[in-house]
Amino acid sequence: MAMRYGMPEYFVPFSQGKADNLFHLLSYPSSTFVLKNFLLVLLAFITIANAATPTDGEKLFALKVKPLFSSRCMACHGEEEKKIKGGFDMRTREAILKGGDEFEDQVLVPGDPSKSQLYLVTTRTVEDYEMPPKEADKLTEEETWIIRDWIKAGAPWPSDERITGIQKQYAEGERVATSKALNEDWQNRRYESEKLWSYRPIKKIAIPRGVHPIDHFISKRLKEAKLPPAPRAKPRELVRRLSFGLTGLPPSPEDLAGFKSTSDYAERLMASPHYGEHFAQHWLDITRYADSAGFANDYYRPHAWRYRDYVVRAFNRDKPYPDFVREQLAGDEIPSRSPESLIATGFLRMGPWEQTGMSVFKETRQFWLDDVTDSVGQTFLAHPMQCAKCHDHKFDPVPTRDYYRMMAVFSTTQFGDHDVPFLPEENLNYFKSSHELVRAKIDGYKKQRAALEQKMKDARKNETGEAKVGDNGLDPGDEASNARMLKNISRHEIESNRTKPRAQGVYTGKTVQKNHIRGYLKPVANPWKGPGEIEKDTILTGGDVYTPGDPVTPGALSAAESLGEMNPARFPRDKGKRRLALANWIVDPANPLTARVIVNRIWSWHFGKAIAGNPNNFGGTGANPTHPELLDFLARWFIDNGWSVKKLNHFIITSETYQRSSRHPSPDLLAKADPAQNLYSIFKPRRLTAEELRDAMLVASGELNREFGGIASRPDINPEVARQPLLIMGGIASVYEPDPTPAQRNRRSLYAEKLRGLRDPFFETFNQPGTSDSCELRETSTVAPQALTLINSQEIQDRALAFAHRLLKETNTNRQAIDRAFQLALGRLPISKEREIFLSAWVKANAEEATLKPESYTPPTFIARTVRAEKTGELYTFEEFLPGSKIYQPDLQRSQSDARTRGLSHLCLVIFNSNEFVYLD
Amino acid sequence: MAHHFHATPNRREALFGLGAGLGSVAFSSLLQASNTRTVHHPAKAKRCIFLMMEGGPSHIDTFDPKPELTKRHLQKFKRSGERQSAMSSGQRYFVKSPFDFEKGGQSGADISSEWVHLKQRVDDICFYRGAKVESVNHPTACYQINTGNRFGGDPGIGAWVTYGLGSENQNLPGFVVLPRTSYPQGGAGNWSNGFLPADYQGTPLRPEGSPILDLNPPVGMNRQRQRQNLDLLAKLNQGHLSTRPDRSELSARMASYELAYRMQMEVPEILDLKGEKESTLEDYGIGQKGTDAFGRKCLLARRLVEKGVRFVQAYAGNWDSHDYIARAHGSLIRSVDKPIAALLKDLKQRGMLDDTLVIWCGEFGRTPDNGMRGGLSYGRDHNANAMAMWFAGGGTKAGHTIGATDDIGAEAVDCVHHIRDVHCTILHLLGLDDNKLTYYHAGRHKQLSQFGGEVIRELIG
Repeated sequence: MAMRYGMPEYFVPFSQGKADNLFHLLSYPSSTFVLKNFLLVLLAFITIANAATPTDGEKLFALKVKPLFSSRCMACHGEEEKKIKGGFDMRTREAILKGGDEFEDQVLVPGDPSKSQLYLVTTRTVEDYEMPPKEADKLTEEETWIIRDWIKAGAPWPSDERITGIQKQYAEGERVATSKALNEDWQNRRYESEKLWSYRPIKKIAIPRGVHPIDHFISKRLKEAKLPPAPRAKPRELVRRLSFGLTGLPPSPEDLAGFKSTSDYAERLMASPHYGEHFAQHWLDITRYADSAGFANDYYRPHAWRYRDYVVRAFNRDKPYPDFVREQLAGDEIPSRSPESLIATGFLRMGPWEQTGMSVFKETRQFWLDDVTDSVGQTFLAHPMQCAKCHDHKFDPVPTRDYYRMMAVFSTTQFGDHDVPFLPEENLNYFKSSHELVRAKIDGYKKQRAALEQKMKDARKNETGEAKVGDNGLDPGDEASNARMLKNISRHEIESNRTKPRAQGVYTGKTVQKNHIRGYLKPVANPWKGPGEIEKDTILTGGDVYTPGDPVTPGALSAAESLGEMNPARFPRDKGKRRLALANWIVDPANPLTARVIVNRIWSWHFGKAIAGNPNNFGGTGANPTHPELLDFLARWFIDNGWSVKKLNHFIITSETYQRSSRHPSPDLLAKADPAQNLYSIFKPRRLTAEELRDAMLVASGELNREFGGIASRPDINPEVARQPLLIMGGIASVYEPDPTPAQRNRRSLYAEKLRGLRDPFFETFNQPGTSDSCELRETSTVAPQALTLINSQEIQDRALAFAHRLLKETNTNRQAIDRAFQLALGRLPISKEREIFLSAWVKANAEEATLKPESYTPPTFIARTVRAEKTGELYTFEEFLPGSKIYQPDLQRSQSDARTRGLSHLCLVIFNSNEFVYLD
Repeated sequence: MAHHFHATPNRREALFGLGAGLGSVAFSSLLQASNTRTVHHPAKAKRCIFLMMEGGPSHIDTFDPKPELTKRHLQKFKRSGERQSAMSSGQRYFVKSPFDFEKGGQSGADISSEWVHLKQRVDDICFYRGAKVESVNHPTACYQINTGNRFGGDPGIGAWVTYGLGSENQNLPGFVVLPRTSYPQGGAGNWSNGFLPADYQGTPLRPEGSPILDLNPPVGMNRQRQRQNLDLLAKLNQGHLSTRPDRSELSARMASYELAYRMQMEVPEILDLKGEKESTLEDYGIGQKGTDAFGRKCLLARRLVEKGVRFVQAYAGNWDSHDYIARAHGSLIRSVDKPIAALLKDLKQRGMLDDTLVIWCGEFGRTPDNGMRGGLSYGRDHNANAMAMWFAGGGTKAGHTIGATDDIGAEAVDCVHHIRDVHCTILHLLGLDDNKLTYYHAGRHKQLSQFGGEVIRELIG
């Protein structure tokens, strides 16, 4: 937290500014000027009457040095007597004068900073003696000056009472009332006012008439920077931008031809169900959606898909944001509890988690509590709560107590898979074929096992000696195989539940210890009776589940309540509906964070960049808003317009700011006036996301199956990855098999199965976020494996061939085919030179293809695997059967296509690889 | 936090360097951050080979003899308590090591008799018995050893090192992983770039099939055809770029295709062992039953670091011997013994051992006792409180054994350190300071050790 100092030698003047802050603390309305002045005089009088005026050195110590010691040094030099490092205790002046093991009396030489190691180590100039040791904690130059100047002033150390007096009278910065800190210095901490922006009430800002409010705020800054904005984008660019921006899919040639106005087109796109799919993808990035649990077993989460589709429906129906929040956090506790709202609580179980016989239930339960607390903080409040788990937050007014208060909200939350009938709008297609395939796998294993067990029964001998040493007559590989098949049977049994009318959700009740958790978790009928315990809600010292500290009661972010001037919420304890209380607290229109957080996210989904640069972190370490007034205006507008995301989208899209060209007429001026590109003089171009890229190819090739929702689709993934043996607890996981029909496989990427233990390399390479951490905004990197994927993979070959096939079906001449290719993929006709080049390239490719006789592909029906048996470390070979291969219908194959189609497919591949296809203006 | 590109082909090249392609653009920046960076402090180790013994090798049966267990062999007892998992509670019995122990080399280091070849090299090794981890679950423990974070999602240690030191070779990834045919529990998350830019991700060279995914053109497509496709692509891209000349990411993307084209030739060259002497292959156990797989990895590791790859991680396993410790560990030791001894000897002969840090460890150690898995069988469960680990080269204290476990090997008792301190030490040996090697993510400056740790000075020579 860098303070600003005008002068190198330190001096604390007594000024009106400090008094302002003081008054804020006393919570007098800051506008009552007269009262303020009166009190100011009164206060000054009282203080002067009570004590001799403190020296500058004393003031410096009380206001700056002591807090600095407390936040940066005391963790290792005094907070815990046993843990004092290097024998150096900083709790008293005497102790500091005594020094530590290293420098002894050279640590502090009052009056002479140049001889005092206490100052010198903070300048980080001596190797191995940089203090504080962590680079992330290092003092700013100004902060080192504080220590230097204090030493120069004779290193005075007034009494505690006097320190308190000085702090009361002279302190700079703003104090924030919070629940209660772990230590007093933190409680008395002061914050730079501008870092507290997110906790303050959302301002009402008046804007002039006749201008789009967004453009008003944006133009103001552009004018200040003397940077003229880029002109309006061309219709073709706008149509593409809108179509991908709102639906994640490319526009059709008809969209382009029929484009009239941005407003109409936006309305039409938002009325399409593809809108909800695309916005759901944004939300699922934040909530870490996956179809499996991760870790040792990577068990299937058979009902996760219903939560995914819930999110799609919520966006399509433009569910008011408060309902969306309430349902995900407390869908089982709300008065309007419904099948829909029970499905929504799947949100609370989205993180990676498992409990096996290897782990201690108390610890894994705590992992979930930590995970859900952090995840709720990031998702709805832009507060990574983990930063306050072990100590009061280093930078923000979030005491550790707040962390455990929020965790207490979830301590009566239990996992349960509710019986929830399927809704009429849910897609139940493929249930039968999916079920049959899973059964075929299970039956296959059962058959293999029966044979194996017979073999083992015949071979089994009694072990000799007092202990088994592996002479039981069995092939240890057989024993391992048996275990492997048992595990895979149980994994597939869990998977088979995905066609059952259940929802992965939660209920409220006592915590029951379980050693193994897998598969169906029946909600307890009487959750407050029977076995189990109501967890004691306490601070966990140092974040350790075995070290309970002070008791806490459920609550939320206390700084948002005090600075945001919210009505203090009452959170129930014991058997009350704690999550519902938290949800209501979050969606309280007076909550300063909630609306800002969601409008900031929505803005970032449109512009590829947020107003407050870290959508998951509104704290002091996150980027301050580039346009704070705009953010407040949008937040207020959003609330006033019924928390409607669709309305907000429309509002944003109809601004000039959104409709600008991505090319500035003067790139040099842009680079000079706005190097960080914060001012929105252009629309920031972006690469398509992994999912958009795949979907766009499927649209061009005409293969996309546009149906909505349902159980996860299993697309073709790189076959080497699909068949890559993956170690799970108890053996090797069964092989990933793509769905049997092209229609099932070629669905939108949103529906592609997301297994934590087996990522689709195509998506991963193009920066699809991982499934452990919440992703606030997609990243774009350019690495060579992307090029390898887009020129060599089976996926791209298949799409290019199908695209070529479509082109030839829809056209009559070579020229028409090339024109159509450009139109479908790039939304424009080729210029004549491009057409020429492509036509001649095609002729050449045809000639080559005419000499080739491609073979047809049939997937293998079994794979032989050689592994080391766990029991013996010796090699063992077994066969893994792939029942899916028997019913697999490949996409269009080269062997089914003539040379002309195959020749054209090379050009299609080139178009799919082009920057124009992959980037959006 | 988008990563920004360093390499921008110069304007002239980008505008006019068409048909011939952009082959002259640095290979590096597209694959990883290019330049070699300044170390935080002078260091001996310039690169690292991490031999990851997945599954949790037993310290008691490898480098940490426990004669006390011979006395207690098959004594039964019960364990319970709130901190016990289902695995470690209930009826238990002690298990002696089935292997004899010997003193090796000048230093007289303890080593079990199964290590026939490594025994010749113990004077190059610094054995460490003080490490502790937090998890007894394979995936969480693997994540912790590899990334510092038990729950995954963080960058692998190789990603951190490459982020800190850059790469010495412009033509290869800085962090290469040599996995087993089967990936470990937790999968590729063990060598992830986490929140670091994608350039630092570990690149697995797969032992079967295509070493890098989609490295080669599909069946039916020859290189000439591919070249023609790429040339057509360059022309199409050129028109697009000409109206967006200030967009460096577009030209960088074009250059990445040329890089990919070159990788198709360069990677197979590195994997091709034909240039190695017959005696070298023999030393590493290549072509011999049992040792071939790991022998190839060890030789490949040497070839890669020789070419300037910063961090190579080679996997062997599975050391998860709950039963039949004699057979299971015996066979596993034999599968890595010869290759590792050859690697150390080879590095030393080439004068590379001094500045190459070699690490050997698993994700945890094993217990001195076992549960009643279907009756008595000599095996061991997972143990987070004691483990086997050693270092060679790279400025470590060769010929020493540091730290100790208690008399039954249940828990480290001397020179005890959390694995985070091992991480700090590894970084330190490579000239990096864990407290300075940070990356801002999710509200704080993250580091390999998670929250800071200390260097284990005893391990440094």
